[in-house]
Amino acid sequence: MSGSGLEKKERRYPMMIIEAITVILLVVGCFFFLAGTLGLLRFPDLFTRLHALTNADNLGLGFIAAGMALHFGSPWTAIKIFLIWLLTLLSSATSSYLIARFRREENNPKNGKEG
Amino acid sequence: MSVVIDILMAILLIYLALRCMLAPELSKTIFTFFAFGLTLALAWIRLEAVDVAIAEAAIASGFMGVLLLDSLRDFSYALSKNPKNLELPENFTIKESNKSLLLPRLALGIGFVIFLLISMEATWKTPEGGGLTAVSEELLPQSGVEHPVTAVLLNFRAYDTWLEIGVILMGLLAIFAAGGVKNYRKPSMTAVDPLLRQVILFFIPVLFLFGAFLLYFGKTGPGGAFQAAVLWGSIGILFHLGGWPIFAMIPRKLRQFLLTMGLGSFLILGFLLMAAGGAMFEYPPAYAGILILIAETLAAISIAVALTAIYVYLTK
Amino acid sequence: METHQIYSLTSVVLFAIGIGGVIMAKHFLKKIIATIIMGGGVFLCFVSFAQRDALTFADPVPHALVITGIVVAVTSAAFALSLARRIHQLTGEKTFPDEK
Repeated sequence: MSGSGLEKKERRYPMMIIEAITVILLVVGCFFFLAGTLGLLRFPDLFTRLHALTNADNLGLGFIAAGMALHFGSPWTAIKIFLIWLLTLLSSATSSYLIARFRREENNPKNGKEG
Repeated sequence: MSVVIDILMAILLIYLALRCMLAPELSKTIFTFFAFGLTLALAWIRLEAVDVAIAEAAIASGFMGVLLLDSLRDFSYALSKNPKNLELPENFTIKESNKSLLLPRLALGIGFVIFLLISMEATWKTPEGGGLTAVSEELLPQSGVEHPVTAVLLNFRAYDTWLEIGVILMGLLAIFAAGGVKNYRKPSMTAVDPLLRQVILFFIPVLFLFGAFLLYFGKTGPGGAFQAAVLWGSIGILFHLGGWPIFAMIPRKLRQFLLTMGLGSFLILGFLLMAAGGAMFEYPPAYAGILILIAETLAAISIAVALTAIYVYLTK
Repeated sequence: METHQIYSLTSVVLFAIGIGGVIMAKHFLKKIIATIIMGGGVFLCFVSFAQRDALTFADPVPHALVITGIVVAVTSAAFALSLARRIHQLTGEKTFPDEK
């Protein structure tokens, strides 16, 4: 029992550092999301918008995932969050690719087939 | 702080619903509706209803979104055939002013406001009793599962779940009848993208595994038959999107068996329990867990096949 | 102001928006989406009451009802979609004839 107070004292310092890192990661992630959304709103055409969305949002999600993994501090949760991030990366990349491909075929009548 | 988040979420929900209804183009309506569904899922997490959030995100936003997008394609293809109507906006407000309709509209508006006020007053009230929480908490150890929502769905109110599987089947039959489409959706003439196929092949085992995870751990945490069923049903939809018409590959008899299996398993289970001397869904506490798991698995497979069938028949 | 009060007020507004959409929107798809929004309002009301009645966990009965409700709502919406598409296929109409 006597060791617990000492342990707590020792642990408080790293905990604060971890919390600070978490906050920084979350803020950076939110910044990337903001940048991606700004790109989505301000860029002129579909391809540049997709570019802004996929790059910035995936990076932002990565930072937020890292921040949350640190916040929970358990390896299982960290693995789960990492898996979520990977699956989101894969599906968002594929769907953006498909949207871009659809638009290209639509604009280019040689490739596009009549339904 | 959490109140601020809730208020922001509420404002976002109302804004998205209004945008969804007021958007001039149909495609905007549908995409705003996706956002609305996902925001609603977040709201449910805020209300500690994780099961409902999974169901909302998977069924109401995901599955319904697939159906809506396909319908959008259907409607807009027909639009492009007669280009006169191409730029016709779908306006929400009625433009031409008709004086004879002014009074009814005024009455409607006043009635609307009164309705809003009355229902707000009704929902604002503080509770008198604790609802059914105490009862469920007391009966939870006998139910064979540890998660209260699963206990209610498959033990206390198993009738509801059973009949709901029947409702899904009825909906499917109605779609068969209304669609009147005999042939299955053929793989489209344009070659399916190889990248898409690879990603689908990667996702299918993941989805299967995650569905099984939700099904099995539905007894201890959020998850259960419906959520698992949607994930498994999405496997079938993905197969169809990738150009493998898997639904047509299953023999007809097996298809019918799979579709009725969920309903039938509940029925047989109910009658067996009655024959053993209880009421219809009165599980003996010792075997409740395993019986629930079996019924849940069969129901999930059945619902998954039914959802795939709804997609296949709706998209001809 | 508690969480469940915020969301139950929101649910009323959502229901009103949905019913307004059902009455005033013209396109079939929009009407169907409006019914889903209406249903969403009802479900939100249920779940917020469940959270209001929470002891160690939120009231599970409304949760179960809402889960079944979502599935039934989606099934009926799918049926409505099939009807709308059939009408469109046969007549080329996108709205009801008396609402043009």
